[in-house]
Amino acid sequence: MKKAICYINQFFAGIGGEDKADHAPEIREGVVGGSMAINAALQGIEVTHTVICGDNFMGSHREDAIQQICGMLEGKEFDLFFAGPAFRAGRYGVACGEISKVVQERFDVPAFSSMNDENPGAEMFRKDMVIFEGGKSAAAMRTDAQKMAAYASRVIAGEAVGSAEEEGYFGRGKRHMIYDESLKPAADRAVEMLIAKLGAQPFTTELPIPKTDFVPIAKPIKDLSKATIAIINTGGIVPVDNPDRIQSASATRWGRYDISKMDRLKGGEFKTIHAGFDPMMADGNPNVILPLDVLREMEKEGKIGKIHEYFYSTVGTGTTQKEAARMAQEMIPPIQEANVDGVLLVST
Amino acid sequence: MKLELGHFHVKEVTFGESTRFEDGVLTINKEEALAVVREDEHITDADLVIARPGEEKRIVPVKEAVEPRCRVNSKHNNYFPGVTGTELYQVGDGRSHALKGCSVMGVGKHWGSFGDGLVDMSGKGAEYSYFSQITNICLVADTDEEFERHEQQKKNHAIRWATHRLAEYLGNCVKGLEPEEIETYDLPPITKRDSSVNDLPSVVYVIQTMTQMEEEGYNDLAYGWDLNKSIPTLMHPNEVLDGSLIGGSFMPTSSKWATYDYQNCPTIKSLAAQHGKTLNFLGVITSNLNVALIQKERSALYVAQIAKTLGADGAILAEQGYGNPDADFTACYVALEDAGVKTVGITNECTGRDGRSQSLVSMDPKSDAIVSCGNVSELIELPAMKEVIGELEALGRDGLSGGWAGDEILGPSVREDGSIIMENNAMFCGDQVIGWAQKTVREF
Repeated sequence: MKKAICYINQFFAGIGGEDKADHAPEIREGVVGGSMAINAALQGIEVTHTVICGDNFMGSHREDAIQQICGMLEGKEFDLFFAGPAFRAGRYGVACGEISKVVQERFDVPAFSSMNDENPGAEMFRKDMVIFEGGKSAAAMRTDAQKMAAYASRVIAGEAVGSAEEEGYFGRGKRHMIYDESLKPAADRAVEMLIAKLGAQPFTTELPIPKTDFVPIAKPIKDLSKATIAIINTGGIVPVDNPDRIQSASATRWGRYDISKMDRLKGGEFKTIHAGFDPMMADGNPNVILPLDVLREMEKEGKIGKIHEYFYSTVGTGTTQKEAARMAQEMIPPIQEANVDGVLLVST
Repeated sequence: MKLELGHFHVKEVTFGESTRFEDGVLTINKEEALAVVREDEHITDADLVIARPGEEKRIVPVKEAVEPRCRVNSKHNNYFPGVTGTELYQVGDGRSHALKGCSVMGVGKHWGSFGDGLVDMSGKGAEYSYFSQITNICLVADTDEEFERHEQQKKNHAIRWATHRLAEYLGNCVKGLEPEEIETYDLPPITKRDSSVNDLPSVVYVIQTMTQMEEEGYNDLAYGWDLNKSIPTLMHPNEVLDGSLIGGSFMPTSSKWATYDYQNCPTIKSLAAQHGKTLNFLGVITSNLNVALIQKERSALYVAQIAKTLGADGAILAEQGYGNPDADFTACYVALEDAGVKTVGITNECTGRDGRSQSLVSMDPKSDAIVSCGNVSELIELPAMKEVIGELEALGRDGLSGGWAGDEILGPSVREDGSIIMENNAMFCGDQVIGWAQKTVREF
């Protein structure tokens, strides 16, 4: 018999609603509230423990909550981890994603969840774990729990599993080759698709082209010598203590740092936390990513009017387009308030 | 043009005193066959080994595969004009005989190259190559081509051309026999078709042949001509099926089309089957995959122009290759759509071992109908086979596109116990973009 541990929030543990959302993490043996439905649907697997955590606690004390929960899991034998189902509960969904991601990495067990497609946690964590598409509310508890439990049982048993669409979870952006004896040869698939396309009938491409947002190139600045220029970088340049705790990959956080009294960024004061490239050069000389040294010279020579007081920073690697767009929207107001005329966007 | 392909179904291949076909059995006089191989003095060592579907055999490094064929009632004896023999003439009209269910397969006795591949005749590995399903008459040979002995890119000229000659030699044994069945491909000139056919949606089949090497000797050939030095042109489908096109020796092999693939092109057969029923099959536009951007643009422009001039309503566009050629594929797709030609693409993808990389180097929302045949970088782990035809070490040692000598995490491609780990890249003609593929790529 394989062993599973579940994560649920204070509401589905029967502790209480919004007023109990600060409930600190705890672990109980066996099933509690929402983990019952999962346990009932599992094949060859039993739920040995249930972790309970208030949604607010996870939201506002993330690091602490994760640390406490990992401490509780330390030393326990388990083969897989469930979180949720979270339906359309946003904070619960994000909490499920946060804890699952860490548990997967630290304990090397697969994690499974279920969320409604409007739950922000689904978009934030779909690439990190298997999240089944679930119902809007707790009315779907049995169905949602059944879906992920049945799938997880097959995975643990080493049975063949289908694609995200076939199984009903949000695609993780992992495209893999499959061989299927029952599949028509490519020639016939192409001819059928062509006949459908010519006849304006529906067809399904086997290689969906990802949607791209084309951003038009900005109009040139008329007089650079009078312009204020800001620098944003996705190369992860931060003060060495990373005060805003920006993640090294799949970032959701950003920071801005005062450079008004600096001619250049010094190694030892700034570094990169970007996990997508060898940091040696950037740690030694952060200006290779964020060229403050050169921009200051241009400012002194009068080529640029002024360098904006702060630089803005996040990490680009693995960061979703959606998160990147949100962070940009958050960066724009302070930049606009400072009457910045142009932004130099530098990556790695 | 009217092509009659007489089929002789080969159920068994064996060696004997004379080369002949009787009751489904192809008997080969080995000495006589090897004498044909040794007509080229650069062949220094040669042997024939049979590999049948279901046998525990692994073949590597595979360089070429050809279906044995001959011409009947023709004044020409060479089957591949411009490549074998001396006579250059047009093919695709008249009668040819084919030994079906088998190939002549060119295999290095020792040395492999970037575009060479692997075929397993049974087990999990047999899911990845069309050639696992047919009997392969393996010509295992070595040559004195010292200039490329230790090069990663090899022209493999001596072995590939020997494979063509051997396929001709074997094909000739059914020259005077009555075929078990005849497949007929009768596609009249475009302006001479019945109105009932003309009223159907008209389509072209665009093939992007492999032509990335600037130096001659590596690229796909049409009547012996290096298609790198050509602009897209119109061909009759029968010419493709009847020995005008020769596969090259450059592309990572899962993306490659062997000469056998051209001879049996499933997409042409599928379009021919619809001709007069749902479609009016106009013909094949043979394009290329050159490396310079202006050459890509020029080829896309020509393909669109030919399709438009012919009045094509639709096109199937097939890419032989991945990576750099994706730019040709997308450019050509967009050019066809912009010309009002509704297009379906056939290609493979390179999504990485973790499946997370962008599928094609260049993508455009206009390419909205694509049949996907595989992921070149999919990791494949296979147990040892009882017998290796060729040399297993070649997979890891010689720079085959899907093999490696060592890897920090995965270890070497070829293990001491004969088991292997490799990328799909090295499966001989594995992605079968030519049309066989019962594979696709899905999101997980």
